[in-house]
Amino acid sequence: MSRVRRDKKSPKRFWALLFVLVSLFCLILFAARGRFQAPIASQTVSLILSPFQQAVSWVGSELNYVTSNIWEIVTVHEQNKMLRNEVNQLRQQNLQASDFAAENARLRELLGYKQAATQFDLVAARVIGRESATWSSMVVINKGLGDGVNKDMAVVTEKGLVGRVVEAGPNSSKVQLILDPRSSVGTLVQRAESRVTGIVVGDIDNPTMPDMENIPKTADVQEGDLIITSGYGGVFPKGLPVGIVTTLKNDDGGLLKIAVLEPAVDFQKLEDVAVITASREAPPEPLKPPVQTPGTETDPVTGEPKHAEGQGN
Amino acid sequence: MKKIGKWAAFAAVLFVLQTSLLPLMAYHGVTADLLLLLTVSVAFLRGNKQGAFMGFGTGLMQDLATGTFFGVNTLSRTLLGLLFGQFSDRVFKEQFFLPVLASIAATILNYFILALLMVLLGYRFNLESHVQQMLVPMLLYQLAFAYPVHYLTYRLDKRLEEKK
Repeated sequence: MSRVRRDKKSPKRFWALLFVLVSLFCLILFAARGRFQAPIASQTVSLILSPFQQAVSWVGSELNYVTSNIWEIVTVHEQNKMLRNEVNQLRQQNLQASDFAAENARLRELLGYKQAATQFDLVAARVIGRESATWSSMVVINKGLGDGVNKDMAVVTEKGLVGRVVEAGPNSSKVQLILDPRSSVGTLVQRAESRVTGIVVGDIDNPTMPDMENIPKTADVQEGDLIITSGYGGVFPKGLPVGIVTTLKNDDGGLLKIAVLEPAVDFQKLEDVAVITASREAPPEPLKPPVQTPGTETDPVTGEPKHAEGQGN
Repeated sequence: MKKIGKWAAFAAVLFVLQTSLLPLMAYHGVTADLLLLLTVSVAFLRGNKQGAFMGFGTGLMQDLATGTFFGVNTLSRTLLGLLFGQFSDRVFKEQFFLPVLASIAATILNYFILALLMVLLGYRFNLESHVQQMLVPMLLYQLAFAYPVHYLTYRLDKRLEEKK
């Protein structure tokens, strides 16, 4: 005799349960094809949970801040030496860059070339929720409709593209990262000789490194190439860094190749982001010499350090 | 009704911890799935009906709040709540070893249910490398959090039963 308790109503319960499971299965298929959405239920759940997520996330980031500060204090001396060296190198590069910028401005004027610099209206936001990146990669940010954030707006950090807003609630929004397998971003190779286009999609096999697909096998794409957004499709503005090509592999079909990218943004340490609410062309800013930190000054003409200690080790 | 509210509040607390605090200690983006642990614990303590109900509720909350593939967590959690609830009559409630061990089995089953759904949705991946990168670290996290979650669930269940 079985030890499992038998229920008199089990046939009725069995059919009810089967109905629920089949309905859920159908919902999954319809939702994946975009034929089913539950925006009100989704926004209600987000509205209730987001204040708590915000509070816990704040506690977490404060803890993180304290521990990283302690570590920085421990390593500050060594870091200072390295930074002084870096400052000198960057100032040399800056001098060259200023020359190039002036030359570029002269040539643009000569050719009557239209100024293509873009200015963005940004809304700063904090990541307050993130799910385990097993099958999809989504984050929740603490800005929503009330802050001017809307569906299909691009989300960035100072390093590059993060993703796009897929659902905006009253006080929070869901952002689909470029690592998500459902995400697709129109991109191109930044190198002037290449400019090959492709689509960057998330890879379930390797959720930390997205793939650039649809690249012809003979196209000029090399390891180390910087990939930027192409602006095609209208969701992502042109010129946002997406990642760097680390490896190239052949597509299963054999006619195309796939570039595996190291994302420009460190998604493991994603805390603060900005939502691009509007973008427009802007006039160039006049060239100004950067402010120099006392103790590390260099000659603005030659780039040579003024102080002996500024040379570092 | 009050009882359901308390269970819902407990699930919400675990969800908030899972999505806001645990990502700080994630390994390649993988963290523990506290709501899956809660479903398994409730199934062991309360039986298959309430286990399935808890699985449905926590799965739906996760699907709605995170914006993942809609319904996948709801379906897998309901099935797991139902399955592990079958063992509730055979395990002593004070016995913690089996439910904690069962959380490992539940995580593996949950992984393969979701993998099957992904394949049905048209996504292709290398199972072997995905298991190594995703499932193995998740199992370690689950093992670390299984006991505290089961203990808290047991305490809450006992407290609600005493009030009754």
